[in-house]
Amino acid sequence: MGDFEKKDVKKMIDLRKVAGVGVAALLMNAGAHAQFISNAPQRSAAVKAEAVQYLYPEQVNLPAGKASAVTLHFRVAQGLHINSHTPSDDYLIPTTFSISAGAGARLESAIYPAGITIALPADPETKLSVYTGEFTIETRLVAAPGNHLVKGALHYQACNQTQCMPPKTITVAIDVIGK
Amino acid sequence: MKSFPVHRNTLVLFAVLFLLAVFGWAGWANWEYRQQTADRRAALAALQSEADMQGVLVPDAEGASPATSALDGTAAPAFTLPDLEGKEISLASYRGKALLINFWATWCGPCKIETPWLVELRNKYAAQGFEVLGIDTEGDDAQPGDVAWARDKTDVTKFVQQEKMPYPVLVDGDSISKPYGGLDDLPTSFFVDRQGKIIAAQVGINSESDIEANIKKALAE
Repeated sequence: MGDFEKKDVKKMIDLRKVAGVGVAALLMNAGAHAQFISNAPQRSAAVKAEAVQYLYPEQVNLPAGKASAVTLHFRVAQGLHINSHTPSDDYLIPTTFSISAGAGARLESAIYPAGITIALPADPETKLSVYTGEFTIETRLVAAPGNHLVKGALHYQACNQTQCMPPKTITVAIDVIGK
Repeated sequence: MKSFPVHRNTLVLFAVLFLLAVFGWAGWANWEYRQQTADRRAALAALQSEADMQGVLVPDAEGASPATSALDGTAAPAFTLPDLEGKEISLASYRGKALLINFWATWCGPCKIETPWLVELRNKYAAQGFEVLGIDTEGDDAQPGDVAWARDKTDVTKFVQQEKMPYPVLVDGDSISKPYGGLDDLPTSFFVDRQGKIIAAQVGINSESDIEANIKKALAE
């Protein structure tokens, strides 16, 4: 083996070291990604029961500047009901969803589901239009370019069969990515 | 032919360096994405926590229940509240009468169901020294001068007229919710004897006969 060939062998060994570092970097990179996935935090369950809970989506990707459909999912706690968007009487508070101006996304429209009809045991003849269990609101959102933590608001008033809780507004947090 | 191994090694070196650059970029991009996502998730978690703090405890779905609070057997907490004409009415001015202090709201369906019962019972037992104090408790913390206050008052006036409520109706029950146990659910009624002591309480509606039984008890003590 001549000097030239010895140099070649040495270079090859060095290259192997370099390649080894590269492979190690690749493995570390993949490991970090795997760790990120496995440790991804999930939406924690509410510590205490709420009358209405926002379920999902937590994050949406929307074309910037273009109205896009986003379906919001909610759940009314068991044993309770909230008035629908079109309650059966004027004095009842309707369920409404809104997004304040400058939030990074504009609410172009919201389509609410029809309420189901119930009657309270103490007054079987009066029919109420309410939401129970899970319900959805079909919205059309216009996102501004970029990432925005949009804070929507769901206003509702909940009751069970004999008593009512004061009207409430909960925050509907959505990570809106406008591209 | 001698130069070929050098050329090949150079190519390998560049390939490795390229791969390292790619890995390095991928690692940086991944780290940055993780940072951004972590920030967003932290913000979302903060909002969710805020929403949880705003959450309300779900009442017992089974229905009305006696409010067996620390108030039972104690003196009814004193208050002075305005009526619909703005006149200040104090609880103390009703000493010597048996009272039903009824916290209600215009948006409360069960309150609307219960009100005709209260009207009927008030008219039935008024001659024996019984009175109902209806206290509107909208739960919106509106203050005099607010748009919400004016709207509440209009709604209350309309409700009182519709239901032909013959007893005093006071507003701003929210201001005395704390001494009366929070008033998280409506209707909430306290039955007070002639000495001003709470002898029974009821959260939610049950039946007219149960209300009447507590009125008789308040009158008897």
